[in-house]
Amino acid sequence: MTQAEQRIVVDSRGSFCPGPITDLYKAYRRANVGDVIELLATDPAAKSDVQAWARKTGNEVLEIVDEQGYIRIVIKVLRKR
Amino acid sequence: MKHVVIVGSGTGGTFAANLLAKQLRSRIKRGEVSIELVGESDEHVFQPANLDVALKGKRPERYVKRESRLLNPLVKFYPEAAEKIDLGDRRVYTKTGRSLGYDYLLVATGAVADPSMTPGLEEGSLNFHTGPFNAARIWEKLKGFSGGRVVVAVAGVPYKCPPSPNEAAFLLDEHFRKRGIRERVEIKLLTPYPRAYPAEAISEVIEPLYERLGIEVVTFFSMDSVDPKKKVVYSLDGEEYEYDLLLAIPPHRGADVIIRSEVGDEEGWIPTDKHTLFIKDYDDALAIGDATNIPISKSGVVAHLESGVAVLNILSGIEGYGEVFRYNGRINCPMELGYGRAIFVSATYDKPPEPQKPSRIKAIMKSTFSRIYWKALSGDLEWIFKLFLGECASPTNGGKTVTLAPAR
Ligand SMILES: Cc1cc2nc3c(=O)[nH]c(=O)nc-3n(C[C@H](O)[C@H](O)[C@H](O)COP(=O)(O)OP(=O)(O)OC[C@H]3O[C@@H](n4cnc5c(N)ncnc54)[C@H](O)[C@@H]3O)c2cc1C
Repeated sequence: MTQAEQRIVVDSRGSFCPGPITDLYKAYRRANVGDVIELLATDPAAKSDVQAWARKTGNEVLEIVDEQGYIRIVIKVLRKR
Repeated sequence: MKHVVIVGSGTGGTFAANLLAKQLRSRIKRGEVSIELVGESDEHVFQPANLDVALKGKRPERYVKRESRLLNPLVKFYPEAAEKIDLGDRRVYTKTGRSLGYDYLLVATGAVADPSMTPGLEEGSLNFHTGPFNAARIWEKLKGFSGGRVVVAVAGVPYKCPPSPNEAAFLLDEHFRKRGIRERVEIKLLTPYPRAYPAEAISEVIEPLYERLGIEVVTFFSMDSVDPKKKVVYSLDGEEYEYDLLLAIPPHRGADVIIRSEVGDEEGWIPTDKHTLFIKDYDDALAIGDATNIPISKSGVVAHLESGVAVLNILSGIEGYGEVFRYNGRINCPMELGYGRAIFVSATYDKPPEPQKPSRIKAIMKSTFSRIYWKALSGDLEWIFKLFLGECASPTNGGKTVTLAPAR
């Protein structure tokens, strides 16, 4: 049986370093390979931190969108024990 | 009669109880107000010393005192754990069946470092977050350690005292150098953050030091599990690190009573206004210190400073000041770098930490604080903290700043 892929939305708006990356870990812990994590953040450092995280852990940043007053980062989980 | 109930007799709860007793002295004596403090036991531990016990061989007994001796005699102390907190009914129930009604509640139940939250961690690691006597097991191990891989790993965020994994790495380096066996030991720090310390300005200070000392820092590490037999730590993304000695910062969660009473989020952190410290949706219940979901360091300094703001808000209600006081988010965490030098990670909600030079004076300040801690809990040294850390509470209605009564 395969699990349906899920989309996990993480709202980190209003929290600053290390807030967004901390929230991302919690979502990653819950996620399975194939899932998509959507991280909403106001911390400008989230962009580069999440990209570096994805490079290091072998996951993929699908898109980074500058929304009105916040950033939306969409991540595909490719690697998870 | 107004009843103030405080749950948790650690740093924040003890400061708050003593400050309130001092401020409301006459009212308590006239029977108009009561201050009741509920604690798990009559022991009070000075937790920052766990590092000294683990990595400098200090005796753990030195840092444990009787809570009842640290309290203002006007505080009623019940050393019996709270079983349930009912915010709707304004009542706290203790393990012995006592039921305490309140007009104002202050929750200061701290955080629990819980190795059982990560598979294999309890059997596979030692730590300095679950009390001074567990920290002493690290020193015992270190004394007999003649070489190999030492890994300091953060198993979950948030955790108490953000600088503590860095401090451990630096103090391990110092320990092995002093014994002349540093070249036989490999030291690694596994951190979930993008750099050696979450705040960039602090990382800039310590990263060159790590390089110079030959300590490897692995970033973006998220712990999955530990195999205690094979002595391997695994990350969620499939990395493996072998160790001979694993010092872990266990995952943390809120206290059992918070989880049981459904007062917190799924990890047991209490949703709290980061400025006023009122628990979300309540105007008669506040939370301070490690127990809250406020995204700043879980540290004694924060618990202490927040206790001052919470006390002002409780006083404002009792005395009718018509003000709500706001905490400015001041943190001031020392980070020891080994060889008698330290820095302070200092910031507020509006001002991130700034880079600074490591110095001996800062290390002396840290150790001085551990000596005055017991005296400071009485609330008699507030003026010293104000001098160093500035005013951390401000009234919202533009009214006058209320200064707490001087020591008597
Ligand atoms: C290794 C280490 C190093 C540290 N170094 C520093 C440092 O250098 N500087 C710094 O500022 N901070 C430091 N800290 C952090 C600091 O010790 C804590 O952040 C601080 O104690 C938090 O205060 P608190 O009142 O919120 O919680 P605590 O002091 O932990 O108190 C919580 C209390 O609530 C009680 N409680 C829990 N459940 C119940 C219940 N059901 N009923 C009644 N009581 C209950 C507990 O028994 C405990 O007494 C360090 C911590 C560690 C572990």
